[in-house]
Amino acid sequence: MTKALIEIKHLVKKFGDNVVLNDISETINQGDVIVVIGASGGGKSTFLRSLNLLNQPTSGEIDFEGTDLTSLSEKQLDQVREKMGMVFQQFNLFPNMTVLENIKLAPMKVKQADDAAATAKAQALLKQVGLEEKADAYPSSLSGGQMQRVAIARALAMEPDVMLFDEPTSALDPEMVGEVLKVMQDLAKSGMTMIVVTHEMGFAREVADQVWFMDAGVIAEKGTPEEIFTAPKEARTKDFLSKVLAQ
Amino acid sequence: MATPVHAADDSLAKVQQKGTLVMGTSPDYAPYEFLVNQHGKNVVVGMDVEIAKKIAKDIGVKLVIKQMDFDSLLVGLQTGKVDMVLSAMTPTDERRQSVDFSKIYYKGGQDIVVNKADAKVYKNHQSFVDKKVGAQTGSLQADLVKKQMPESSLLGLTKVTDLILALKSHKVEGVVMEEAVASAYVQNDNQLALIPGKFDLGSDENGTAIGFAKGSTSLVNAANRSIDAIQKQKLLPQYLKQAGRYMQTNTTNTSMFHYWRFFAKGIGYTLLITAISVLIGVVLGVFLALMRLGKVKVLHALAVAYIEFVRGTPLMIQVMFVYFGIGIFIDIPALIAGIIAVSLNSGAYVAEIIRGGIESIPVGQTEAARSLGLSQRLTMQTVVLPQALRNIWPALGNEFISLIKESSIVSIIGVTDLIYQLKVVQTATYKGVQPIIVAMVIYFVLTFGLSKLLGHYERKMKHDEGTN
Ligand SMILES: Nc1ncnc2c1ncn2[C@@H]1O[C@H](COP(=O)(O)OP(=O)(O)O)[C@@H](O)[C@H]1O
Ligand SMILES: [Mg+2]
Repeated sequence: MTKALIEIKHLVKKFGDNVVLNDISETINQGDVIVVIGASGGGKSTFLRSLNLLNQPTSGEIDFEGTDLTSLSEKQLDQVREKMGMVFQQFNLFPNMTVLENIKLAPMKVKQADDAAATAKAQALLKQVGLEEKADAYPSSLSGGQMQRVAIARALAMEPDVMLFDEPTSALDPEMVGEVLKVMQDLAKSGMTMIVVTHEMGFAREVADQVWFMDAGVIAEKGTPEEIFTAPKEARTKDFLSKVLAQ
Repeated sequence: MATPVHAADDSLAKVQQKGTLVMGTSPDYAPYEFLVNQHGKNVVVGMDVEIAKKIAKDIGVKLVIKQMDFDSLLVGLQTGKVDMVLSAMTPTDERRQSVDFSKIYYKGGQDIVVNKADAKVYKNHQSFVDKKVGAQTGSLQADLVKKQMPESSLLGLTKVTDLILALKSHKVEGVVMEEAVASAYVQNDNQLALIPGKFDLGSDENGTAIGFAKGSTSLVNAANRSIDAIQKQKLLPQYLKQAGRYMQTNTTNTSMFHYWRFFAKGIGYTLLITAISVLIGVVLGVFLALMRLGKVKVLHALAVAYIEFVRGTPLMIQVMFVYFGIGIFIDIPALIAGIIAVSLNSGAYVAEIIRGGIESIPVGQTEAARSLGLSQRLTMQTVVLPQALRNIWPALGNEFISLIKESSIVSIIGVTDLIYQLKVVQTATYKGVQPIIVAMVIYFVLTFGLSKLLGHYERKMKHDEGTN
């Protein structure tokens, strides 16, 4: 049985006159791993940030677990956002806190978890991403790959129902991309619903249930990795893929 | 309570009812009023104080002395901070427009103080052709120089001590002073000499009188009765003699070291005012910065208006406004008024520092926190502000250091900070330069030491969190 987790209905986002998301309607089911690809400026980040309302949509609906997020108050939104983990290209770890404190912050402040429980949970998550020995380090002493794994652990600490990744490996040195993708792959295997914006076509091929090609504010084409990578239908998909795969 | 016959004027009844007569004075004018150190405490003494005591006694109340800058005295009367002003004040027509005066209680001649080496050169006010002569700005003496010494040029300064300094460093050749004051200086400084002014003092404008708030006729009458008694009993010479004795005890030991208590007290107040003001300023600054950065239009506009207004007006005026302006409604002591004014001022500057700090935090930090479910408030409290405060720590330190210097302005309302104490020591010792040097060195040690200390903690903080 598949169950719809997120239903996007006629999502439109404008910045001034610039229509960045142009009437997108899609459904994401529980357990889906969706990889969003597309050229820079196509609206991928804006799309992802509209899902947890970091960007307020201009019009349309985001139904998450049966609730229309666009109708919620700020306070209710805070409660929804904790169920939607987000990982950023620039990691965005809090530099004034240790790794452990970064992970414990939200569980303790938002969920009122007690310190011992939050610490135990954080340590388990650090183990999961292979960084248990870095608990007391400050972010500035970590490599990019380590920082991104901490950021993933931090998002997981809130036990989200879906994880949003916005180009999680784009800011990394090539030798560190693998360690982050590995963590994401494990996460996908564990059944987490994931929406991943990335240029890592290998990851898309191996892990994605569906690949969405986004261009000029719309999902121009979607399908299984097999369909998109071996038999793209749209000319612009072909064009994009030939450019990316040529590199 | 019996109703007074003159219903409109209850000034005397009011003073009697509260049991105290508050005298405002600027104690830097021996032998009229000046400070002496009695058992480690500064006490205002002098001829004016004796007169005030007599008036208080005749009315049957206790005398309270409030020290203020000379320029603030009349405002003090108008705002009810003091009941009367005795500060060797001449009742000019200009002053009569805003306050009432008693009859003249003392009329001294006008003399000229010169360097002792020049005592033979100058005979009287006519000897200063083509020379520079000093007098207190806005004083009767300055008027005399302008009108009766047309061939001399006038240097006007506010403080007598500064005029004496100018004389000693030959910026001026003579200083025109009221007789009693002039002899006080000459008696206590053997490098100075006195020559008679021989001015034409026709008018009755050259005496000193007591100032009262406009319309306090019953109080003025009471004071006039006391003045009559003083003159009848010939008490003034006695008062002057007593003042002279105080002056001698003051000048027996004029080494700066002897006055260390004065400076220590000044340092204490300067640091107290600065520290409290910075603390309040930071709290206020955080709120103002958040208001300014926030989405609520009214709060934003309020914060902008406050910040711009405070930064666009001098601290000196703000200090006077809080003390005299707000003082009309509630009687706040000068120290508290000073702290309030400096805090309010500091809040505006700190707000801008904090705003800069908040804006310097990458928006990604906020987005990461919000995506974890932290509310806007929690995000500010736990993620943005701590980082912002850490970034602006050096700027806040600088603000603290500059407040140490700028808070000196509270001395104008009589707060005994370092600058105030410097002037006290100047008048007590008849030495102009040495106290300035001492105060300067103290200020430098304070600010330099603090900036070193702050630098140390800044490095330590960076070290603790590990740098890139
Ligand atoms: N905050 C914003 N204000 C104005 N324009 C924006 C903003 N964020 C994104 N855009 C515009 O939206 C378009 C899509 O941007 P983005 O979603 O970042 O694309 P992608 O992630 O696919 O590269 C771009 O033209 C960008 O300039
Ligand atoms: Mg992007």
